Amino acid sequence: MLLEVRDLHVEFRTRDGIARAVNGVSYGVDAGQTLAVLGESGSGKSVTAQAVMGILDMPPGRITGGEILFRGQDLLKLKEEERRKVRGAGMAMIFQDALSALNPVLSVGDQLGEMFVVHRGMSKKDARARAVELMERVRIPAAAERVRDYPHQFSGGMRQRIMIAMALALEPALVIADEPTTALDVTVQAQIMDLLAELQREYAMGLILITHDLGVVADVADQIAVMYAGRIVEQAPVHDLYKAPAHPYTRGLLDSIPRLDHKGQELYAIKGLPPNLMDIPPGCAFNPRCPMARDVCRTDEPPLYEVSEERASACHFWRECLHDLDH
Amino acid sequence: MTSTTEPILEVSGLVKHYPLTRGILFKKQVGTVKAVDGVDFTLGRGETLGIVGESGCGKSTLAKMLCNLEKPTAGSIRFKGEDITRLSGKALKAVRRNIQMVFQDPYTSLNPRMTVGDIIGEPYEIHPEAAPKGDRRRRVQELLDVVGLNPEYVNRYPHQFSGGQRQRIGIARGLALRPEVIVADEPVSALDVSVQAQVINLLDRLQAEFELSYLVIAHDLSIVRHISDRVGVMYLGRIVEIGRDAEIYDHPTHPYTQALLSAVPVPDPDAREHRERIILTGDVPSPTNIPSGCRFRTRCWKAQERCAREVPALAVPSRFRSTAGPAAHDSACHFAEEKQVVPAEEHGNGPG
Repeated sequence: MLLEVRDLHVEFRTRDGIARAVNGVSYGVDAGQTLAVLGESGSGKSVTAQAVMGILDMPPGRITGGEILFRGQDLLKLKEEERRKVRGAGMAMIFQDALSALNPVLSVGDQLGEMFVVHRGMSKKDARARAVELMERVRIPAAAERVRDYPHQFSGGMRQRIMIAMALALEPALVIADEPTTALDVTVQAQIMDLLAELQREYAMGLILITHDLGVVADVADQIAVMYAGRIVEQAPVHDLYKAPAHPYTRGLLDSIPRLDHKGQELYAIKGLPPNLMDIPPGCAFNPRCPMARDVCRTDEPPLYEVSEERASACHFWRECLHDLDH
Repeated sequence: MTSTTEPILEVSGLVKHYPLTRGILFKKQVGTVKAVDGVDFTLGRGETLGIVGESGCGKSTLAKMLCNLEKPTAGSIRFKGEDITRLSGKALKAVRRNIQMVFQDPYTSLNPRMTVGDIIGEPYEIHPEAAPKGDRRRRVQELLDVVGLNPEYVNRYPHQFSGGQRQRIGIARGLALRPEVIVADEPVSALDVSVQAQVINLLDRLQAEFELSYLVIAHDLSIVRHISDRVGVMYLGRIVEIGRDAEIYDHPTHPYTQALLSAVPVPDPDAREHRERIILTGDVPSPTNIPSGCRFRTRCWKAQERCAREVPALAVPSRFRSTAGPAAHDSACHFAEEKQVVPAEEHGNGPG
């Protein structure tokens, strides 16, 4: 396995107390595979990714347990210097907001070229030539002229292409894309997702796609991990999960998508609010919002039950959830 | 395409151009941003009209003009037959009561230093005739109850609420003056997925309860379809296609609508293999430099010489005029043809 996260725990110390952002997350991704991590804000999906990349703000963040194995090597045991070599060449990240992720006072050519100067020791001139190549690779028109332009001179879609070019510069084995299209319009989103999928095939990268959009997931993912309150609550191959979810939270999310045959009727809505990470409910974190909750859910935290060889669900009543198709 | 019920809002030839100036002391106009460039539609009583389009298409400017937050450059907005763009003073104030807005971002549209009670009650300060002073607190609490919040929260501040709760506060404020029309600009896009459905259901319930007419602006096409009776598609300051929801979604005839619909990810992994995607090339042109003729032609795969010369009118295309089928709705394309891009029954196919 290319990347394997094992029982990761992350917490944030704040003035108001300790926020337990990630509480025992395990997932893995192979080369050439796409893992979608689905969750709402505060579910811990981005914090997990930041821990993998080694860009978590520490303090206030703290990794309190777990392992992050990249090609079999535990990244958490590496020195920062060694870690830096893995970043960029081994794994890279694409951020949601390209405008704030790019440096506004450096031309895009300088930013792309920097990768080659720092990691590959290239001359500035060669690096500039590689930057133009990369921009052509992500289909930015008139790349040779635009290489001198600054981020604000590009449209949102073009900026996101530059982010992708930067992530792919050193041909990493793993790319983590954190909501890469959330800030973009649907027609541009389609262009960017297409480009990502094509480049992934070409380089046989492992891709972790972090998103809250069930539509995007259905389009590109092989495997899904659904996160809630810092835990993975369901893990499954994409087709299985959409066909029959094994966790009431996943089911709730799927049911709340507007559907044609339900037009004019009330939408299914998950009641209540996502939990406060400083005060996660005892037992199953989803129990106050769950239509299936019983006494045991309020006292015993469900382990990640094996549903089948490829699937897992953190619900005491996953069998009922899986088979109760018309509730 | 006109509304099916008696119209409450009639918009015709609506234009908003912003001057682009250069220089600080001696301002010189160097161009024009054509944000809204000739929009016509009607909104029927009790109806929901959805407006979809990409960023920069002018949909938010349109919303602001309807609420009189921007003065149109040209055109008219008739509320119950009266052109509100020509009103001023008392008459304008009276009309404004009836058209209220719900904003996109519940984090920035509520004043952090005001209590929820003051926020929801503020419209009464501006329109004191709507509620006598002694009665206001009771009314505010009623409104909180109506939108599903605890009436005892009246003295709390916005930061004590979650995003979904704040949007409910914004909706309560919009309802305070008992308006007849609500203009909602992206009412759920800032909310968590699991909370969006709650707010959509609330808007739906309030529409029935208060006989409201909605103009809802959104970029999420599945949500727009769920709540709208009719849908208008905007591109670069104009409506390019408008019709009943099924006409637009299942029988789109404008190439832009087809591309837009085909780009929406469908939450069904089985649809991956057997659906056709129309990937548009390039970006939306700048509204300072709108292409001649059809404004979509620079990204259109069907564009011909005629498209650069003639501006297509928003009307039922001639080839569909003799039929009564669902393709016979307004579409501003010289070469309009029907094309189904969303798998009809599999659209949004969830489990169970």
